[in-house]
Amino acid sequence: MIGTVRVENLSKIYQVHNRKGLFKSEKSSVEALKGITLEVVQGEIFGLLGPNGAGKTTLIKILTTLLLPTGGEAWVNGYNVRHHENQVRATVGCMLMGERGLYWKLTGRENLEYFGALYHFSPRDRRRRAQEILDLLRLGDIADRTVETYSSGQKMNLAFGKALINDAPLLILDEPTNTLDVPSASELRAIVRKLNAQGKTVIYTTHIMTEAETLCDRVAIIDYGQLLALGTVDQLKVSLKRDQVIRFEGVIPSKAFTAVQKLPQVLQATRTSANGGNLLTVVTRNGGTILPQLIEVLTANGTLIQSISPQEITLEDVFIAKTGRTLSEDTRGK
Amino acid sequence: MTGINASLRTNLSVVIASARMRLINISRYPGDLVLDIVIPIVFAAMPILLGRATAGPNAGEVFKENTGTTNYVAYMLIGASAFTIVSYAFWHMANWLRWEQETGTLEVLYLSPTHRIWVAAGTALYSCLRGIFSALVAYLLGSLVLGVNPLQGEIGLAFLFILVGIVPLYALTLIFGAVVLKVKESNALINLMQWVVSFLMGVFFPITVFPTLLKVMALLFPPTWMTNGVRSALLGVGFFFGSWYKDLAVLWGFMLFAPLFGYWVFTSVEASIRKNEGMGQF
Repeated sequence: MIGTVRVENLSKIYQVHNRKGLFKSEKSSVEALKGITLEVVQGEIFGLLGPNGAGKTTLIKILTTLLLPTGGEAWVNGYNVRHHENQVRATVGCMLMGERGLYWKLTGRENLEYFGALYHFSPRDRRRRAQEILDLLRLGDIADRTVETYSSGQKMNLAFGKALINDAPLLILDEPTNTLDVPSASELRAIVRKLNAQGKTVIYTTHIMTEAETLCDRVAIIDYGQLLALGTVDQLKVSLKRDQVIRFEGVIPSKAFTAVQKLPQVLQATRTSANGGNLLTVVTRNGGTILPQLIEVLTANGTLIQSISPQEITLEDVFIAKTGRTLSEDTRGK
Repeated sequence: MTGINASLRTNLSVVIASARMRLINISRYPGDLVLDIVIPIVFAAMPILLGRATAGPNAGEVFKENTGTTNYVAYMLIGASAFTIVSYAFWHMANWLRWEQETGTLEVLYLSPTHRIWVAAGTALYSCLRGIFSALVAYLLGSLVLGVNPLQGEIGLAFLFILVGIVPLYALTLIFGAVVLKVKESNALINLMQWVVSFLMGVFFPITVFPTLLKVMALLFPPTWMTNGVRSALLGVGFFFGSWYKDLAVLWGFMLFAPLFGYWVFTSVEASIRKNEGMGQF
């Protein structure tokens, strides 16, 4: 039970007010989660992927008891999120808001000690635990400076440290490497791996596909409040037929690129310059059947094709195939 | 992993940690601490000087007809000091919730296994210490500047009224905090509340001059009893029920009832917010 998450048919409907002019407003509802069912097993790093507004944050907020679901049930570490909120909170370490959620006029050490108090550590244990975290994250040199003087990356690191304060068996990390530079992000991922190796389960959301690909044991893709795919990175890649991602090399004019983008079976097309020519990568719903049509459209629009090859499938390709767009695109308002 | 088996001792430790954290925080805004002391003196000085300007040397006698004391300077200083305690209570509680909602730390509190009521109690303890200290220093300094004896009457009884009155006061601020959480606005509410509070508690005047309806409203407001209790103990202006223990009994009544009501309102609002947008939305 410890280190696990079980979600059954979870739904969430928000009531919102649409402003109409100065004083009028209209009530409407937004269905943020539509019957999500999934399970996170003990000791895995579970990636949660989805564009902005897909429902990831809503799901995480329900799992951390910040929100109540409209329907369905969820258990975290064996505790029901509706009925055992204190037990859930005590057994989860969260980093949800990046560098927000820190007291800027307190030092890093004072912040950690205060958060330790909220988890009912004795004053002596608070000091000890704060020092352990400062050492782990190499924040010792700035520990006694007020947080307002920290760089963005240092604040992110401290926020990550806050998630570790209660030494919980389950960590929920919402884009923890945002605003970190490359070496710091890599260092943080190494710490996540180390904590995972010590037996902690991790739920990890990210916008960086390579991060999910290298870090996560299993990945769930969520969009429009629905679970679109769930499995190991390899399983998800296998689920996408190899010929669904096709690469064309040659001289590809803009109008040919635009024409390809307009084809209904094309989910995503990108054109880059390479070797004095162009490289066109096309993600399709069914590459085998669309290939003749693609060639026809490209040649009709002045393309000189030098080579056609299937491409090594990445998690990003899987994401595009499942959602129809890239991770950076926005679901909100659609 | 801690926090599952919280006890009264660990919760009290949270109260102290929360109050301490806020004291450390305010110590990094030294200007605020100076203002805490100056404002009540200036606040009281204005009506005092107005009284001297308009009523001349007989100001005290005219004042006595309505209040029972000629010492209008001390009367208004006590009002301003009591208002400091009351106003700070509303301000600190509302500002705590709103400020933490905006900076994201409120969500962090809700992610921890500590019940918010203990953090609220810590905020109340901090506010209380700051309010009483400011009120006391402002009263002593104001008395010195405006030439009245601050150490008159029954000082112990005055303190008793403050201590008993503070509990229902903070219970009211919990209700006020719930409104702030719900409407996600604090400045306008605090401004409005300060006017209403100063008016109802009779900051510079006895509530006996109110029309009946207003008087009833004022008597339903615990700080009115606290302020009058302090004034009566120090200046002998007269308790509402004629004797100190009857007025204190009323405050005790408020003390027993108001926290339960405040807790119920706060947790109900919390639950309704968690059902929809959540605490973090600001």
